[in-house]
Amino acid sequence: MPFSKFQPWITLICRILLGVVLLLAGYLKAKSPAEAQMAVRAYDVLPVTLANFFGLALPWFEMGAGLLLIVGLAVRYSALFGAALMLLFVAAISQAWARGLSIDCGCFGGGGQVAAGHTKYLQEILRDLGLTLTGVFLYRFPQGKFGIDKFESTSELGDNSER
Amino acid sequence: MSDKKKINKAKDTTNRNIAIGMVIFVVLVGVLFSFLSNKTNSKVSIPASVSATNGYGVVLNKDAKVQVDLWEDFQCPHCKEFEMVSGNYVNDLVRAGKIKIVYHPMTFIGPESILAAAAAACTADSGKFLDMHTALFNNQPANENSGAWTNTSLKLLAISAGDTSKKTASCIDSGKYTNWTNNVEADAAKKNVNSTPTMFINGKQLNQAHYLDLTALKADFAAVGVK
Repeated sequence: MPFSKFQPWITLICRILLGVVLLLAGYLKAKSPAEAQMAVRAYDVLPVTLANFFGLALPWFEMGAGLLLIVGLAVRYSALFGAALMLLFVAAISQAWARGLSIDCGCFGGGGQVAAGHTKYLQEILRDLGLTLTGVFLYRFPQGKFGIDKFESTSELGDNSER
Repeated sequence: MSDKKKINKAKDTTNRNIAIGMVIFVVLVGVLFSFLSNKTNSKVSIPASVSATNGYGVVLNKDAKVQVDLWEDFQCPHCKEFEMVSGNYVNDLVRAGKIKIVYHPMTFIGPESILAAAAAACTADSGKFLDMHTALFNNQPANENSGAWTNTSLKLLAISAGDTSKKTASCIDSGKYTNWTNNVEADAAKKNVNSTPTMFINGKQLNQAHYLDLTALKADFAAVGVK
């Protein structure tokens, strides 16, 4: 079977996967903003004021991008945003790991310092790298099944000879 | 492409842009809402022993020279451990008037933390905060937000802690200090408090290893002249 036949379905799966993860992660964080702020501060990267702002704002952007991906609107931009965000998380978690901080990534709510030995850095990094790949795939092949986006030119957006 | 198709396509694009615009609008409104609802609000009711200059914490012994700040969440298990190890010692220092202590009850663990903190603030008005603080940790439910802490159970706890005043009961019932907890949380965010318990002695953060080591904690206090 040719790739072109599967590609719209793979795109759909990637959209749902990345979209649901972003939507859920955003919702759980927006629900407890104080904890989300604490999670960002615990990375010890940004100045406190900026970290607190990020903790409040980021969940809403995650939910927005997740929603757009699920319904298939502005897929390329949302996917790019999602992939960039995941890479940012990978970088943030890696530096925490390298510096020997003991924190929870706070990816799905929670966050802040945890007892030494209770960190899950490797799983968190691998998960976020996997999600980055779905975002990259969506950027390359944004047109899938059941999406609202319509693409006029098919030449640069993957093989869409089916449609 | 026929004219009709062209018009349909233009309509599609417009609708699509409107939908994207709506999502962006909702995101921005959400950010704004989050931002405004997590700021300190100087208009909320606060207990008499609370002041903005002390980060909206409950202040005991306001004239003592050594200042201790303590950030805890009444539902946080590590705070309970800390309380079990050092609670009696710290309470004795407070009762003897040797330290000024500022309690910052945080509420990030959830709704029952808010109920507990607001109830504790009510007991501050009748001078029973320290007893209520101890009682809350002694009776910390095994699971967070499990429904164990309600205004009714917290009223009973206040009574068992020795606060039998009717004012306290009605204060708990009415949720008088619910919004105050938001101010405490916002101030802790500004001060970069990232875990509980966090203790500052004269503005200096306690060594992480000293929280569960009473001897080390006593030495820290001795170093600032508290014996």
